[in-house]
Amino acid sequence: MGPVTPTPWDLTGRVTANEPVSTGLLRLDVALPRTVGFRPGQFAMLNLTGPGQLVFRRPFSIFAADGETMSFLYRVVGRGTALMAALREGDAVDCLGPLGRPFLRPDADTPPALVLAGGVGLPPLHAWAEAHKRPDDLICFGGRDGGDVPWSLLDDRWHVSVDRADGVPPGRQAHEGLVTGLATELLAAYDGPRLVLACGPTPLLRAAAKLARDRGWPCEVSLEEHMGCGYGVCKGCVVPVLSDDLAGWRNATSCEEGPVFDAATLDWDRLGASHGGVA
Amino acid sequence: MTLPIWWRTDPTQPVRIGPRELPGRIWTASGCFAYGLSGHDIRSLDVGSPYAGIGAVVTKTVTPQPRSGNPMPRLVELEHGAINSIGLENVGHAEFVEAVLPALEERGVPTVVSLAATRPDEFGPMCERLAEVGRGFVHWHGVELNLSCPNVAEGGHDFGSSPATVAECVAAARPHLPDRLLIAKLTPNVAQIAPLAAAAAEAGCDAIAAINTVLGLDIDLETGQPVLPRRFGGYSGPAIRPIALAKCDEIIRQVGVPVIGIGGIETADDALRFFALGCAAVQVGTAQMRDPFAAARMAAALRPDAATT
Repeated sequence: MGPVTPTPWDLTGRVTANEPVSTGLLRLDVALPRTVGFRPGQFAMLNLTGPGQLVFRRPFSIFAADGETMSFLYRVVGRGTALMAALREGDAVDCLGPLGRPFLRPDADTPPALVLAGGVGLPPLHAWAEAHKRPDDLICFGGRDGGDVPWSLLDDRWHVSVDRADGVPPGRQAHEGLVTGLATELLAAYDGPRLVLACGPTPLLRAAAKLARDRGWPCEVSLEEHMGCGYGVCKGCVVPVLSDDLAGWRNATSCEEGPVFDAATLDWDRLGASHGGVA
Repeated sequence: MTLPIWWRTDPTQPVRIGPRELPGRIWTASGCFAYGLSGHDIRSLDVGSPYAGIGAVVTKTVTPQPRSGNPMPRLVELEHGAINSIGLENVGHAEFVEAVLPALEERGVPTVVSLAATRPDEFGPMCERLAEVGRGFVHWHGVELNLSCPNVAEGGHDFGSSPATVAECVAAARPHLPDRLLIAKLTPNVAQIAPLAAAAAEAGCDAIAAINTVLGLDIDLETGQPVLPRRFGGYSGPAIRPIALAKCDEIIRQVGVPVIGIGGIETADDALRFFALGCAAVQVGTAQMRDPFAAARMAAALRPDAATT
């Protein structure tokens, strides 16, 4: 059995804000007709309302939920997100959520976390870090350059890395290089076992899983898979997981069994071989 | 929405098709609502549950052996529909009858089980086992034969493109299902669909479901390659609705057999077009993937008393 999660609702909301938070990331706030909870790592399926809506909704990781307002961070990567970016205050949005398996909720026995968020992988881990303010956690965000980093959303608990150092604002610090490089430096300074949580591009997830595996640490990763339905019926978003079957693996829906997976259960070799969808 | 003056049917009232009385005329199509066990926890302010008022869930197609399906990507959205090549991923017949069918009965989900096989003679044992396990089940209404997959015994040609093979499949299933609904689901990828429907009716099926997806292919302009690893896929969604209406019309006018309309039904208006032709029921496919409440909202909107609200 998975963890208990809030009831998902299919609601039509209204856009209250849709603005850039960095050069690459936008924040969409939607006022819903009722309060809907979520757990960090869960997502919602969004679409325009009425004629002109997309054949399929698009999955967006939930960044925050405050009363009746649900917030998302996204990057324009295709037709769906381009339509989202054109939404103005007051426009209607169909919202189905929260959906999917969240990141684990830490208890007293959970080791301090190493959080690795890459680019648009920020929302679920930002939500997790906000929900569980534990002083020993190491929390990292990796962006393309200083302009790509949503500085206003990252308090001083966040360590930041950038591929290129240009655009880092005065008074803020950023490690130049990959976020996994930043993590390695931090781990050298702070000893002890960790729970590794990652969301972002596939190479980041792969590196996070390896880092944890090499040290025998637990690790959860959130996959950002293309989806059709988002609620387990179309089988269009499957990822390979290890299994006791004769074949040694089976397909798991990333919408229902994920998007957050125990990294040790994913069949990483097969994921790379068969997989065109993670972006 | 104002309902047309000719529409006086409540699609949430029982309807008799063949030997069964089903709870309604708006169904969900195979492959678009999993096994009928998903989405029960989702809520809406208008219709409440995704299952409210639904006449039947046609399950994801079940095959004799489990199948892991095709490689990703399997489902690609186009402007007016979607093209898929899921590859009949399913738990296999044994697991389905032992675990899924009893769970559907317990939940009270009106169920039609979709079956596919690679040889016509495989349908007999699958139906026999279903009838054994499902004896006494009140919510399991029958079987829909998915006749649009390649026939291994016939060199990979679709079952559904030969009247003789369609008849063979129906004849293999019928004796095991004396008191259950038997539906043949036909492919539109033929010049004439009526001879296939006639062959199925003569072999003893109670109704024809039409249409399955339209064979399609799309190209990724960036790579110059087909968007699906297997090149072809099944095209579905609003773009195929006129094709589906034409095929249903052909069957209804030429063959005296109840027809269950499928193809691009997204709204209550779309469903009405199929009912206007004389379809006994309709199935909601691609729209159900976008909206868990698509079928339930359609059923609510088509109740004669809905127009005044």
